[in-house]
Amino acid sequence: MKRILVSMAMVVLVAAIVAGGEEAGAVYGDGVTIQDPVPMSRLLGEPETFVGKKVRVDGVITGVCKKRGCWIQVTNPDTGEGIRIKVEDGVIVFPYAAMGEPVSAEGIFEAVALTPEQVAARAARQEQQPASHSHPPGEPCEKGLPGKTGCDVPIQDNTVYLIRGTGAVIHS
Amino acid sequence: MRLRRLVIATHRDVGYFFAGLTVLYAISGIAVNHVEDWNPNYVLRTETRDLGQLQDGDRNQVADEVLRRMEIAEEPKSVVRMSPNLIKVFLDGRTITVTLPEGRVYDELARRRGGFFELNYLHLNHGKGFWTWFADLYAAGLLVLACTGIFIISGKKGLGGRGLWLLLAGLSVPVIYLLWRL
Repeated sequence: MKRILVSMAMVVLVAAIVAGGEEAGAVYGDGVTIQDPVPMSRLLGEPETFVGKKVRVDGVITGVCKKRGCWIQVTNPDTGEGIRIKVEDGVIVFPYAAMGEPVSAEGIFEAVALTPEQVAARAARQEQQPASHSHPPGEPCEKGLPGKTGCDVPIQDNTVYLIRGTGAVIHS
Repeated sequence: MRLRRLVIATHRDVGYFFAGLTVLYAISGIAVNHVEDWNPNYVLRTETRDLGQLQDGDRNQVADEVLRRMEIAEEPKSVVRMSPNLIKVFLDGRTITVTLPEGRVYDELARRRGGFFELNYLHLNHGKGFWTWFADLYAAGLLVLACTGIFIISGKKGLGGRGLWLLLAGLSVPVIYLLWRL
């Protein structure tokens, strides 16, 4: 009996020592590897240049997936231009407490065009937005958009621009 | 006979060791299974207020005026101009969205859902590092519990009779579900 308990304690201790070195402050996923961020205005102004490429963006976290932490919205605090960083559920989890913190994030830039049906459905939804809807003006909570973008994703010219996040560093 | 004694002893001791964590994981499992219906991690309270007309200008100055009118002394973490007429002020656990120039405020307060936040933190392995290893150990422990559990009793109530049927019934649920869904 004592031997079993001692063995279990040893395994836990070894695991703690091995894993202890991996704890790393506010680094999420692979962190950031690219030196220079792409200005948000350039990324959204000429998106075709960056589609399919790995990019880094810097800004302030203005939205976090409230339930799963599976996306953040990164915004330029001066201009309001922002981009969704979507990560796989459970692989990277952003804490809701990160709202308002400066962040550097990177991943593959994607453009997902809405289908004509989705454009029509979106227009109808916006017309019928109930008065009690809890989101601030200009930020409708929309689900079921292409590419698993998460709620509240900004849409520009009927296209969702987002970064499939591989990592981030939150500078709090 | 000696082997059965070892099986029972192993099942008992591993069971005692992991019983607490199993209960915690079970509670968290139910909580996160229903994530579409509620927020298992945070309690969010929202409120809309009218602060009266606000003069547009530097976003930090607008934020200062908003906080003054709301009688909040806290220094904001950041202030972001989301659009020409929308500013967000971020405080600790609180986000204030202001529309200009109307001065309409959408105030969102978030606090951790006591107990559940911590359980989900463990269950969903948000901490990574050490907890990944311990959760692996726990998974191995469950494997040991399952493998030893089915051999605890012999005869009609064990794998020679009812036990086998229950084992097959339990296995059939995920198999049938997968055949149905995929």
